Amino acid sequence: MPILKVAQLEKSYRMGFIPKLHKVLHGVTFELPERSITGFLGGNGAGKTTTIKCLLGLAYPDSGSVRFFNNEELSEDVKKRIGFLPERPYFYEYLTGLEFLEFYGQLSTRLKRNDLRQKSENLLKRVDLWHARDKKLKEYSKGMLQKIGVAQALIHDPELVILDEPMSGLDPDGRFYLAEVIRETAREGRCVFFSSHLLNDAEALCERLVIMKSGVVTYEGGLEPFLAKMGEAAIIRYLANGHEENRRVETDAALQAEIKKLLNEGAHIVDVKKDRNLEQAFIKHGLRGGGS
Amino acid sequence: MTQVLVIARNTFREIMRNRILYGLIVVAVLLIAMSLALGQLTFAEQSRITVDFGFAAIHLSSVILAIFVGSTLVSREIEKKTIMTLLVRPISRTQFVIGKSLGLLAVILISIALLAMVLAGILLLMNLRPNMAFFVGLYGICLEATVLLCVTLFFGTFASSMLAVSFALGVFLIGHWLESLSYFAERSHNKAFILVERITRAIFPNLEYFNWRALFIYGDPVRYGDVVWVTVYCLAWSALLISVSAMILAKRDLG
Repeated sequence: MPILKVAQLEKSYRMGFIPKLHKVLHGVTFELPERSITGFLGGNGAGKTTTIKCLLGLAYPDSGSVRFFNNEELSEDVKKRIGFLPERPYFYEYLTGLEFLEFYGQLSTRLKRNDLRQKSENLLKRVDLWHARDKKLKEYSKGMLQKIGVAQALIHDPELVILDEPMSGLDPDGRFYLAEVIRETAREGRCVFFSSHLLNDAEALCERLVIMKSGVVTYEGGLEPFLAKMGEAAIIRYLANGHEENRRVETDAALQAEIKKLLNEGAHIVDVKKDRNLEQAFIKHGLRGGGS
Repeated sequence: MTQVLVIARNTFREIMRNRILYGLIVVAVLLIAMSLALGQLTFAEQSRITVDFGFAAIHLSSVILAIFVGSTLVSREIEKKTIMTLLVRPISRTQFVIGKSLGLLAVILISIALLAMVLAGILLLMNLRPNMAFFVGLYGICLEATVLLCVTLFFGTFASSMLAVSFALGVFLIGHWLESLSYFAERSHNKAFILVERITRAIFPNLEYFNWRALFIYGDPVRYGDVVWVTVYCLAWSALLISVSAMILAKRDLG
């Protein structure tokens, strides 16, 4: 049973001085299985954020359907089971980290005051913000805000966590830390759906991909099958006469033959890597860029 | 209901932590204190000037709070996109609007109560004992602030903060001008003018109904029937404006 099922979602906005209908989503369809990390990829303007807004009832789709969990429409009960971090979040800067989490906890759970305090404190430790619990959010750095944003999305133990560009604007340390939190969230049995245009991060985190371009889902499936479309090219790194060298081969058969040949020549194989990554796959499949 | 109170509490906390509020209260306290000095300038009307000026300071501060803070209540949540993290929680847009209004209303009522205590203290110094008419005068200010808050909130659901302030100030001025407009319409033979007066009366709240500030100083009797009727008038306008605001917000795409 998919945790989220989106079918034929269409959305238009009126834009311009003389409002003209501009179609942003053209029948977006995809599913999210339980207990998975799915990357929602696509360039700027591909329609990722609009899709997420339509899923969460923040924008109203023109047509199509969105079903959560056991084929349920978005309702107050369903919302209790969803966590969300918006893109470029601005939070209530007059609240401290602890007050902020307690505020969102009070909106989403029926926990008693002491239990909620305990839960908020645990979450602050988990996202490495315990030291800043009594600081007002206006004193937080961008990375800290992103972390507290993820924490508010998790305060009510949601089954589905939707993160819109969680890595955007973070330094490498911040991205690493956030990736760990996302992995841990998935290990707890939750489904994580996050949009990103940072392909390296997505490749390191995701098991599944939903890729959008110009308001249409162009790929939905596993990360491996998508990368496999790149072909079998590989790079052999080896030591010959004390020098490190690389050799690129195009097919699996050629790889086996080349390794055999190098070994016969007395070379020392250092490693063999498939010559493919998400970045290259995007370029090869013409998926770079969001809009048409 | 819990959700509404959580939003109200957070809004209350937001405003209470804003230094502008304290600046406004200090200015209002200074104005009330100044009323004492102004009163000294007259021979026979000292108490009248003090009471008038004191009530005017309380009235003005409540109007400024209702309009200037009210204008940002919803529009800033939309502009800063904080509304997105709230509305994905189990909370409806109507609950959100009601919670925000209650939070600001609580701040306005507390500030009116504080300033009223200062004014009452000054009146006691002048051997004027605040009676029921004094409290009815304050009650009228509270009712007017409630309506103005709802008016501003309504404009804030579809206009920017600046526009919401402008529109609400317009309603404030027209609302106090309606009595004069009717006075002239009764004496006019111009059908177009009479029609404009009728339409204006129908679509704008008459804020002069809430003006009981003169009762105390002139020692006029409090007509409790009027107080009840005007309270219902205030609640009806507030309910209407909150409902329309919630309906507008419910239809809007956010973010």
